[in-house]
Amino acid sequence: MHTPQQDSSAPLSKQSMGAAAVEAGRREPALEAINIVKNFGSLQVLRDVSMTLYRGDITAVVGDNGAGKSTFMKVLSGEHIPDGGQLCVNNREVQLRSTQDAQSYGIETVYQDLALAPDLSVAENVFLGREIKAPGWRGQIGMLDRQLMLEESTRILTELGAKLKSYRATTQSLSGGQRQGVAIARAIKWAQHAILMDEPTAALGTRQRDMVYAAIRAAAGRNLAVLLISHDLPQVLELADRIIVMRQGTAVANLNPAEVTVRDVVDVMLGAKGA
Amino acid sequence: MNHSSSQEALSVNTPTYDDGSTWFSRLREATAFWMFLILLGLVVLFSLISPNHAFLSVNNFFTIALNASQLVLLAVGMTFLLGAREFDLSVGANVVLSSILAARTITSLAGTPDEVAMGNYPHLGPAITAGVLVAIISGTLFGLINGLLVTKLRLSSFLVTLATTAIGLGTALVMTHGANVPDIPRVLQTEFATYRVFDMIPLPVLLSLVLVLLLWFTLAQTRFGVHTLAMGSSPDASRRAGINNARHLLKLFGLMGFLCGIAALLDISRFATTNIGGHQTDNLQAVAAAVIGGTSLFGGIASVPGTLVGTLIPVVLGTGLVIMGLDSFYQLILVGLIVIAAVYIDQRNRQLSI
Ligand SMILES: Nc1ncnc2c1ncn2[C@@H]1O[C@H](COP(=O)(O)OP(=O)(O)OP(=O)(O)O)[C@@H](O)[C@H]1O
Ligand SMILES: [Mg+2]
Repeated sequence: MHTPQQDSSAPLSKQSMGAAAVEAGRREPALEAINIVKNFGSLQVLRDVSMTLYRGDITAVVGDNGAGKSTFMKVLSGEHIPDGGQLCVNNREVQLRSTQDAQSYGIETVYQDLALAPDLSVAENVFLGREIKAPGWRGQIGMLDRQLMLEESTRILTELGAKLKSYRATTQSLSGGQRQGVAIARAIKWAQHAILMDEPTAALGTRQRDMVYAAIRAAAGRNLAVLLISHDLPQVLELADRIIVMRQGTAVANLNPAEVTVRDVVDVMLGAKGA
Repeated sequence: MNHSSSQEALSVNTPTYDDGSTWFSRLREATAFWMFLILLGLVVLFSLISPNHAFLSVNNFFTIALNASQLVLLAVGMTFLLGAREFDLSVGANVVLSSILAARTITSLAGTPDEVAMGNYPHLGPAITAGVLVAIISGTLFGLINGLLVTKLRLSSFLVTLATTAIGLGTALVMTHGANVPDIPRVLQTEFATYRVFDMIPLPVLLSLVLVLLLWFTLAQTRFGVHTLAMGSSPDASRRAGINNARHLLKLFGLMGFLCGIAALLDISRFATTNIGGHQTDNLQAVAAAVIGGTSLFGGIASVPGTLVGTLIPVVLGTGLVIMGLDSFYQLILVGLIVIAAVYIDQRNRQLSI
C-alpha cells in the first residue's frame, strides 16, 4: 500500500510543490498562489496556502466542509482580496482586486451557484459583460450582433456535448446539467489561462455529471489550468492530475491520484494519524 | 440559423427559430401581444357602444394619445427600473418640482412681473429655452439623487423614493405655498402642445413616440438593455460578469429623472400652468402600465412595447367611461384592480418557473 505524501502539521511549502513540478517535467505554471492568508474579522480562514496550477492539468482541491476551499478559490477569482501572500499569473506577480481583474488576466470562474442570469437567454449569458457589437453603423448606434453571439454560443456548447433545444431559451428553463454546461461554456470561451470550478457537479444526476466531467477534460485539453473543488472523491481520483487536500485553512497534502485510494484521501482530509 | 435583414426592428420577425418555434408561437408567449388584443377589444367595444360611434374617430384617437403622452414616458422609465429590480415612487413629485422650477424660470425671465401678468413676454425665446433646460436638468438631478442614495447608502429604492417624494413635494409647496404658477406663455400651448403635425398628430405625441422608440431599441438591442435585465435577473451574476451594478443603476435613475423632466415640460405646455395636485398617482399609473405590459416586478423581464400598450389600456378605459357618461374617476379604481390581477399573474408565473 502506498503511503500518501502528507504532512498533517505544517502547511505545504512552496518547495515541495516545485519538486512535484520538476518530477513531472515540462509543466508550465499558469497560476500560482504563495502563502495566501485570508481573515474574516478575527477568524483566520486561510493560513499560508500555496498552490500552483499548471496548464493542461486538472488540480482537485478536496477537504471537509469549512476547510476553506471556496474561500481560496474566491481569492484566485478576485472576489476576495487576500490579507497576505502573492499571486502570479504566467510567472508574473499580479493583484486581483475584483472579478474583472481576474478575468482580464484570463482567469474564469464557475461558481457554486453558477452566477447565471435566469431570465436571460443562453447566448446572452455566455456573452454577458462581453457582448459583441454589430458591424458597421448598427454597431455604432450600440446594436448588438445577436446572431453572431447565438452562433458562437451554439458552437461552444455543441463542442462540449451539451444538447440544448434552444439557445434563445432563458437559462431558468434549462435542466441543472444544461445550466452547468452554459456556465462552463462561458468560462471556456473566455479563459486564457485558468478555469476555477466550485463543486460543479454537486446538484447533478449521474448522466449530467458525466457531461460536466467531459467538459472539464475538454477545458484541460485546451491547455487551460483547471482547479476543481469537489466532494466526489472517486471521480476526483479518476479525473484529477493532482489532489490538494485542505484542512482548517491550510493545504496539508499534495497527492498523486495514481498512488492513493479514496480511503487515503479521506484520512488526510480528516487528519487521521498513520494512514 | 436564420438571417434576417430586418432583425433589428423586432426580435420576433424571423420565420422559424432554432427550437422550431415560429414567430407566431413566440408572439403568443408575449404578454404585450395579449394586452394589445385586449386594447383592440376595448377600442372596438367602446366604438360600438358610444353614441354615434364617437369613440372611433381619428380625433379621439389622438386625444387619447395626447393624454397618454406624459404617462408613457414615466412608464417606460419605470420599465427600465423594474427590469433592473428597482423602483421609483417619486416620479410624480419629480414632475411637480421640475415643472414648478421650469415655470418659475420662464415667467421670471420672460419679462418684468407686470409685463408677464399682462401677458407680455418681451424675452420669450431665451425664457423658454432656459425653462426647457431647467426642467430637464432638475428632473435628471432629482433622479440622480435617488440613484446616489440607493447606490451609495445602499438603501432600498422603495424607501429612498418614498422619502424623496416627500422632500420633492415639500420643496414644491414651500416654493409656491401650494398655489400653481400662473401666466405661463400661451405660445407653449399653441405652438407646441396643441400644435398638430400634418394637422393631425399632436407634437407632444410625436415627441413621446420618438423617445419611446429610442428606449425600446435601447432595451431590446443594446448592451445597456441587456445589462439592465441582467442586473434585475441576478445582481450577483451581472456583478460577476464584470458589470458595475451601482453605476448602471445610477444611469437608470438618471434616465427616469430625465423622463420626468420631459413630462414636466409637457405638463406646463399643455395646461399653461403647473399642476401641483395632479400627480399623486403617477407612480401607481406608471408601475401599472409597465406591469400590465408584461414587465415583471421581480426584475429581469421588461418590455417597452408592452408598456406602451399598458399605458393606453387605462387611458382608453378612462376615455371610454367618459363617453359612456360615467365618472372618469372609475378609471382609477379599474387601474388598481388591473394591477392586482397583473401582479398576481406575474407572481404565479414566477413560482411556476422556479
Ligand atoms: N464571507 C465570510 N464571512 C465570514 N466567514 C466566512 C465567509 N466565507 C466563509 N467563511 C468561513 O470560512 C470558513 C471556510 O469556508 P469555505 O466556504 O471556504 O469552506 P469550504 O471548504 O468551501 O466548505 P464547503 O465544502 O462546505 O463548501 C468557514 O468556517 C466559513 O464559515
Ligand atoms: Mg465551498
